[in-house]
Amino acid sequence: MDYILSLLVFFPAVAAVLGFIVDRDNIKVYAITVAAIEFVISLILWMAYDPTNPGFQFTEYLPLVPAYGINYYLGVDGISLFLVVLSTFITLIGFISLTVEDNLKNMLISLLFLEMTMVGVFVALDAVLFYIFWELSLVPMLYIIGYWGSELRIYAAIKFFLYTFFGSLIMLVGMLFLAYLYYMATGTISFSIPDWHRLVLPFDYQVWLFLAFFLGMAIKVPMFPFHTWLPYAHGQAPTIGSVILAAVLLKMGTYGFVRFSLPIFPDASIALITPIAFLAIIMVIYTAMVAYAQEDMKQVIAYSSISHMGVIILGTFAMNVEGIAGSIFLMISHGIVSGALFMLVGNIYDRRHTKLLSEFGGLAKVMPKYATIFGIMVMASVGLPLTIGFVGEFLSLMGFYKISPSMTFLGGMSIILGAVYMLRLYKTTFFGPLTNEKNRNLPDLDGKELTSLIALTAVVIWLGINPNPVLKPINNSVESMLELMEKKAVTKEARELLHANTVKLEAK
Amino acid sequence: MEKYLYITLFAPLVGSLFAAMFGMKPKKLFVGIVASLLLFISFISAVILLVHVASTDEVVKAQLFDWITVGSLNIPFGFVADPVSTVMMVTVTLVSMLVHIYSIGYMEHDEGFNRFFSYLSAFVFSMLVLVMSDNFAGLFIGWEGVGLCSWLLIGFWYHKPDLSRDQNPSISPAWAANEAFIMNRIADLGMLIGLFIIYWHIGSLQYDVVFSHVNLFDISIITMMGIFLFIGAMGKSAQFPLHTWLADAMEGPTPVSALIHAATMVTAGVYLVVRSFPIYSQIPEIGLWIATLGAFVAVFAASMALVNTDLKRIIAYSTLSQLGYMFVAAGLGAYWVALFHLMTHAFFKALLFLGAGNVMHAMDDELNIFKMGGLYKVMKWTAAMMIIASLALAGIYPFAGFFSKDKILEVAFDSHHYILWFMLWVGAGMTAFYSFRLIMLVFFGEERYKKYGFHPHEAPWYMLAAMAPLALLAIVAGFFEHSFEEFVTTLLPEYHFHMEGITKVALIGLTTLIALSGIGLAVYKYSKGGFSEKWKENPIYKLLYNQYYIPQLYDKLFAQPYRELSQIAWKELDLRLVDATVDFIAGIIYATGFKSRVVQSGNLSKMLRWMVIGLLILLVLVVLYSPVR
Amino acid sequence: MITLNHYLVLAAILFSISLVGILRRKNLLMLFFATEIALNAVNIALAAFSKFYHDLTGQLFAFFIIAIAASEVAVGLGLLIIWYKRTGNIDLDTLQSMNG
Repeated sequence: MDYILSLLVFFPAVAAVLGFIVDRDNIKVYAITVAAIEFVISLILWMAYDPTNPGFQFTEYLPLVPAYGINYYLGVDGISLFLVVLSTFITLIGFISLTVEDNLKNMLISLLFLEMTMVGVFVALDAVLFYIFWELSLVPMLYIIGYWGSELRIYAAIKFFLYTFFGSLIMLVGMLFLAYLYYMATGTISFSIPDWHRLVLPFDYQVWLFLAFFLGMAIKVPMFPFHTWLPYAHGQAPTIGSVILAAVLLKMGTYGFVRFSLPIFPDASIALITPIAFLAIIMVIYTAMVAYAQEDMKQVIAYSSISHMGVIILGTFAMNVEGIAGSIFLMISHGIVSGALFMLVGNIYDRRHTKLLSEFGGLAKVMPKYATIFGIMVMASVGLPLTIGFVGEFLSLMGFYKISPSMTFLGGMSIILGAVYMLRLYKTTFFGPLTNEKNRNLPDLDGKELTSLIALTAVVIWLGINPNPVLKPINNSVESMLELMEKKAVTKEARELLHANTVKLEAK
Repeated sequence: MEKYLYITLFAPLVGSLFAAMFGMKPKKLFVGIVASLLLFISFISAVILLVHVASTDEVVKAQLFDWITVGSLNIPFGFVADPVSTVMMVTVTLVSMLVHIYSIGYMEHDEGFNRFFSYLSAFVFSMLVLVMSDNFAGLFIGWEGVGLCSWLLIGFWYHKPDLSRDQNPSISPAWAANEAFIMNRIADLGMLIGLFIIYWHIGSLQYDVVFSHVNLFDISIITMMGIFLFIGAMGKSAQFPLHTWLADAMEGPTPVSALIHAATMVTAGVYLVVRSFPIYSQIPEIGLWIATLGAFVAVFAASMALVNTDLKRIIAYSTLSQLGYMFVAAGLGAYWVALFHLMTHAFFKALLFLGAGNVMHAMDDELNIFKMGGLYKVMKWTAAMMIIASLALAGIYPFAGFFSKDKILEVAFDSHHYILWFMLWVGAGMTAFYSFRLIMLVFFGEERYKKYGFHPHEAPWYMLAAMAPLALLAIVAGFFEHSFEEFVTTLLPEYHFHMEGITKVALIGLTTLIALSGIGLAVYKYSKGGFSEKWKENPIYKLLYNQYYIPQLYDKLFAQPYRELSQIAWKELDLRLVDATVDFIAGIIYATGFKSRVVQSGNLSKMLRWMVIGLLILLVLVVLYSPVR
Repeated sequence: MITLNHYLVLAAILFSISLVGILRRKNLLMLFFATEIALNAVNIALAAFSKFYHDLTGQLFAFFIIAIAASEVAVGLGLLIIWYKRTGNIDLDTLQSMNG
């Protein structure tokens, strides 16, 4: 049990290297087996995780460059645990539903490598390690979009790479400066994130560092106006690329906010709530409108991702347990739902080699199973209660209501506008008469597709009805994080806000 | 007793899942029978609960497990059977059961037979969650659940194409379904905000906690709670200005209209206001506002029903109008009267719709009442039952509507809101008129259907049998007024009338008078061939016929600008501005690279020259910035 | 009295001459000569430092440089001959295949 996190991180990487010697015909079975084992390990991690302990668990520590405070330091808490499980789960499901034929071996190897970096980002407790995994995740994705994508793939891949890389370089500068500040304060250099959590910084330093980290995270999330790489990346990427991009890679950004920005710079975070919430509201409303205007199914879902990420940001910056726990839950639920939606679009793309909405209509009659699962996912995406999508959205908005009712109202437009573009998508694709003769004989979902989609549907319903197994560990870790923030806040406003940010009976 | 609570709640869910298993298979009769049987079980256990609660005054509570636990928020799956919810449970399960049985016949030839029962039972489950939940979040689950089922059922015949508004005022079933869902979502946002206000002030969403603490707060906070919760209610109960979806929802199969868009779901808003009476009784101004809106809708909707030619739409407007009556009662604090009218209305309006379903079946889904007429000869039973329902709707003694609707008028008069009373009084006249206009045009007069080549026939016996209990209730339900009042006022506040006996009699007389004259006018006019064609040129007629041009207005005011703005946001803003800026910055970097790459000419002496220049610059820098002088 | 400065000035003058040669000459052979002059300018400076500071390290380096210069010329001239055999001239401006 002591080395479970190392195992979790490096097992896929080792398996990827070994994959080079596996025969081409067996590679898929091999990759699915590896992903399944990895998923089981992550489930064991969840089972073994003690939900009552809010701190980091299963920590591993190995000095790498002790003189500069760079160490091999891993650990999970309630905030990262489920993102790890989500990564392994989505990878497994993605492998099962994979339909790529061309150069399959290279794709699977790069996906396994990608899995290592995703898990690595979520369990790293050393900033340098975190940064290494963060950047390494770009490489396989660059390859996947650039090799297996559609016409504009090179443009999309390079845009994705350079844009996010640019942001993270600025974040790196912030990290180095933060380590230097730590040195000034304590006399030793440290890149350990828990050490940084304990560091009290003056307000103006906090603001600058916050902005440096913010740029790195915001491009990854992606927040308006840094979002334009996303539609290209999604539009050009193969299905599996979009699934992993939407389900996991985007969550790295929002995870970064919770892991770095809030606890390390509490005063700056609180001082900047309004501008960030403003950006988040623009994300919610503006991208929902853009999603409504799209002519390509995949782009609708790509833009809807941005819109939902806006709600996640609102929840994160609610600065109370309800909001932050809700936003972490929404990260997970959005991962599952958007992953499923991209897979569904991939299924129809495999059949018709087009994603244009105008090509479809009346599919409900031809492909009833497909329509049913798509419908469930649409409803989860618009946040219907008893699906996974409701819990996170409800809690995020509820949390932010304490900060600003009027902004919550604007952010809450997401539940209206989300319904508008999703129902339009559903109506044009599935309802109406069957107009296109090419669609008349489309086969319904086959066994392979059903396996992956039913697994996702089961999670959507199960966590919608019983989200508590996930919410409880998140809740405890978030509570302790907020306590820490309140303790180390230096400005009066921040302390007051954090203190008053719970329910109190305000009797007259 | 908890056992019965769970049976009532989950029997429809089991039925729904059972039917869903056969959802993609061809029609199986037993699916409908099993679903109806499970509904019957649910109804029986609801009745047992009702009897239990009524006889022992004990409130039955049950908790399954916790749903969401975060921070100080704890939402359990908790259910409660108190006087209000048991009344709703019995009403819902009774009407649902009858509609299920009726649907076996109505959907006989539909290929989506199994799917239909799956959706319909799922609706009943959601509705029961809505009424049985012991907290606002659970209510919201049901609230959205019925919204989903309503979406599925309105769009049941999804394969129909979109038509223009002139050909089909609801455009298409799929369109109407989306409209209903989105309109409800607008209201749901209001409702969610209401929940947030409640949570952040009280720290819980449980009814008992909220209602026992609500009077501790400042009146402005309670007002906010009341307003936002009512916005939610406005969506579900299709109050102005969120009313347009209800008429369009008539695109769904007729049993759906009977169950969802007349008897149960649309009354959820009334239920919410009645359930939240501790909030609303604190804020009579908001109550008055609700009542005013209700009275307005009562007249507004009835006026549209006066001229419409579509069989189902007339009944839909009538539903809208009756919902307005209920809100008047709820808004004025006569909660039990609202609930009573809700119940009686569920019976006679469901009956009316099911009768309309029979007519549609007989007329091959033709809806224009001017193509019918004289159907009484072939459809005696249907006609009789629809007349009963219409009499109840018009409020004629001794039918159920008389007791409940008259009570609302009395409440309005008694609380000195004479304008409201007058509006409702006019509304009552209009109600009587359009109800009997419909009856006259469909069942009596010239047999116009022959011109169009229809061969009407009476519905099969079991469909009529399913309607019979409703007909019976439409006649007798009113006589249970006092026991009903006694029962529900153990929870709800009583309403004390101050009127003298003579005023009351006068009021009843006035109302009956206008109802009778409405009926009389309709019968007289339409037995003589109706109004002249000239009326159709009248601007008022056009205004009413086109629903005050509100759907067109919404289209012009919201839908179209939104569509255009979205296009602008995408094509102009996102591609031309945001993305172009990013590409522009990237372009600058590329361009600088291109410009400066001439340095790398490959010519050795040139490169050496650059080297020397660099060397010199470095030397100069060393000289200038050298720390050692 | 000849001081260190005199040697250094000589070395500087020689280095400048070679620098001009490197920059201006187009014939590769001449370029080689110019580089040799530059190296030898440095050699003079090193030897002079060594003498005036009584430190043999400077002379040691001068010997290194002589050895390296010799081997450089050997390799360089070899390459040059091959280049001449291939193209028939040793003009610097024809050597531009590595432009960016």
